[in-house]
Amino acid sequence: MSALLEVSGLNKHFGGLQAVRDVSFSIEPGEIVGILGPNGAGKTTLYNLLTGFIPFDSGSVVFKGRNLRGLAPYRIAGLGISRTFQLCRPFIGMSVLENAVVGGLGAQGIDRSDLDQRALALLDQVGLGGKALLPVETLSYGDQRRLEIARALAAKPALLLLDEPFAGLGSGEINDLSALIRSVHAEQGLTVMLIEHKLHEFMRLVDRVIALDFGEMIAEGTPEDIVRHPAVIEAYIGRGDEQAEEQTDAA
Amino acid sequence: MLEILIHGAVSSAIYAMLAVGFTLIFGVARVLNLAHGSFYALGAYGAYYFTSHLHMPLLPAALLAIGLVALFGVFVEKVLVRPMRRSQLAVLMITLAVALVVEQALFLTFGSEYRNVPEFVSRKFTIGGVDVGGQRLLALGVSVVLIGLLWLFIQRTRLGSAILAVSQDPEAASYMGIPSDRIFSIVMALSAALAAAAGVLAGPFLTVQPTMWLLPIVKAFAIVIVGGLGSIPGSILAALMLGYAETIVGYTISTSWTEIVSVAATLLMLVFRPAGMFGKRAAF
Amino acid sequence: MFGKRIDFAGAAGFVAFMAVLPLVFGGNYLIGVLTVSVIYGIWAVSWDFMSGLTGRENFGHSLFIGVGAYTAGFLNTKFGFSGWWSLPASMIAATVFALIIGLPTLRLRGPYFALAMLSGAVIMQRLMLIFWEQTGGEEGINGIEPLIHSQLGFYYFALATLVVTTALLLALARSHWGLILRAIRGDEATCQAAGINVTYYKIASLVISAAFAGAGGALYAHYQLQVSPQLFAVVTSITIITMVYVGGMASIYGPVGGAILLVLLTELLRDFGEWRLMVYSCTLILILFFLPNGLIAPTWRRVKAKLGRPQ
Repeated sequence: MSALLEVSGLNKHFGGLQAVRDVSFSIEPGEIVGILGPNGAGKTTLYNLLTGFIPFDSGSVVFKGRNLRGLAPYRIAGLGISRTFQLCRPFIGMSVLENAVVGGLGAQGIDRSDLDQRALALLDQVGLGGKALLPVETLSYGDQRRLEIARALAAKPALLLLDEPFAGLGSGEINDLSALIRSVHAEQGLTVMLIEHKLHEFMRLVDRVIALDFGEMIAEGTPEDIVRHPAVIEAYIGRGDEQAEEQTDAA
Repeated sequence: MLEILIHGAVSSAIYAMLAVGFTLIFGVARVLNLAHGSFYALGAYGAYYFTSHLHMPLLPAALLAIGLVALFGVFVEKVLVRPMRRSQLAVLMITLAVALVVEQALFLTFGSEYRNVPEFVSRKFTIGGVDVGGQRLLALGVSVVLIGLLWLFIQRTRLGSAILAVSQDPEAASYMGIPSDRIFSIVMALSAALAAAAGVLAGPFLTVQPTMWLLPIVKAFAIVIVGGLGSIPGSILAALMLGYAETIVGYTISTSWTEIVSVAATLLMLVFRPAGMFGKRAAF
Repeated sequence: MFGKRIDFAGAAGFVAFMAVLPLVFGGNYLIGVLTVSVIYGIWAVSWDFMSGLTGRENFGHSLFIGVGAYTAGFLNTKFGFSGWWSLPASMIAATVFALIIGLPTLRLRGPYFALAMLSGAVIMQRLMLIFWEQTGGEEGINGIEPLIHSQLGFYYFALATLVVTTALLLALARSHWGLILRAIRGDEATCQAAGINVTYYKIASLVISAAFAGAGGALYAHYQLQVSPQLFAVVTSITIITMVYVGGMASIYGPVGGAILLVLLTELLRDFGEWRLMVYSCTLILILFFLPNGLIAPTWRRVKAKLGRPQ
């Protein structure tokens, strides 16, 4: 089986800072892959490079056999890569349902005639069915996160990039949301990448982990391997991060 | 040649006075103030009214006009702009509406005829064989002094550094206990006073009529776009470039083409370098 | 479904009212006022389609109006084209200008776009004066032929244009297309992430908006039988924006009501002719402060909610 996403030798620097250095990995269809790394490791930058929001300096990103270099974000999204943002960015002034519908309006080659029904079904699935007609501003933070995911799914993506979907949520909400991610993955065979700091949930959810530090890939492997990997332990504990403790808990 | 040099400097100085105030209030309060041109118009009309109707001597009349415009600026900021600050577009609308109200008020009071603002200096000077109106030289000198004073004020005084702090990071400034609302009012007063001073000084050799706010605002906008919004040195340099470009076009092609220069510069700049020549978003 | 039927009934009632008004009261003066109000309606709707939906306020709508009017004037007086060519030609001309000014400026964030458009309109007004040999300078172009000789006939033609414009733009605004424009207003980055070509939609909406403004400009030229640089003036844009604010932003139909209401109201204040613009600017300030959602559209929604409730 050929890889869905093939990243090789990816580089990006901002001024003197090398934000992403020589990153290579591939994602197979149907995987759930976690991106792990301390703050400033270049995780969100990596997403921005993959989705075209920031152009990369060198390297290549190949999605479904197609080179993404130089494509505008909307083109890449149209090809089937949906993403969420670390800070929720709903469309203010519109209803929850309308927000979800817009998610499906830009994708290429999907049927739009039943988009409204499909968006409603998605809202049901993420647990917002009863709030479809409310103005989006009235949603709680957790609900906004669910809506982000519904919006991203409305495009019927082949690859979903989640950027810290659990940030700022309580543990009950985190359980619901990871159940949701698991069910979408199981039902639709969706490939998912996710950035997360809450290591506990993260480790149970993902098949494989790619660990970044200072923009470089320091390790790759199963969650069990990664938490024992010396470079990862070094990256967290070496800096005395709080997350180090969380990590040992998870292990 | 020398003529271009001198007249270009005079235009640049007037533009700089307008643009510095416009960029200052943007830098500090993120307010694009379309009523800025009205402060300029009110300065000129104030000087005209106090001298010709109330028969005041020119200097007190000018200072009174500038002072009243500064107060008006504070009123506009406090009463009209502040409640709208959550939306930049609402601010734009409200300040545009203020500009129109001022235009109409001037029109209803004084009619649409041109008015004469008296000159401080009426004699002409000859510099290297070029005749230059004394008022123009005065405008040049005063604007250099005023902008210099503003610069010293911002760089050297406590209040100035508070203004600087608010413009760089309003949130951090409020943690440090700087009352940003008061800073906005002060900056608005300064900005309005500078524009009014420009109106008083340039009034005698420009046309004073109710719609005179419009071109200055278009030019101030052009200058701050070219110089980078919020940057005072940037807007001074851009004012020089624009002042000279206009003067050169005026001498070599036709004065009616001068107005095109600023807008062409704006559009070109927006196409090629939206951040401006000295493009950072930081204020100073 | 019921809501749609009420909307349709309301629209039909409004059109019937506007059509019958001159028959009941008669008089060329009233017909003239109504014609102007209807043309302002076209301008206000076209402004709202782009600026109301995408949230990019256009302070230079008069640019497209003037371009449309001058196109009509030139074609009719200098090249001897029949007035019926004016409408399509002015729509095309306004479209070209929308592309020229929209491509560089629409990438900009809201306030920059607003001011860039304002500058564009100011410069066009200047150009009309600079090239006075071609454009007639301050005087503008005179001697434009009427489109329809009967005043009442022309009024009905303008009213029909307004109805068609509003219906088309309303249908677009309520389609997925309009949803995308409103999403752009909400958050551009999220639109990009949803695969939406934001620049394309912004330019396209500006082009559509400009085309209808240009058509309105051509109608105005054939109503006034002359055009002048005053059409490009900033006050033209502000008048239109005030009408949209009174009508209710982004509702499309509201601005029609806003335009007609304000034109008729200021005619009642005719004795205060000089105060007209003062009234507009003060109205704008009051609306911004006290009715940020406008007057017409929210009122209609309330009426609809009352009628829709089962007794």
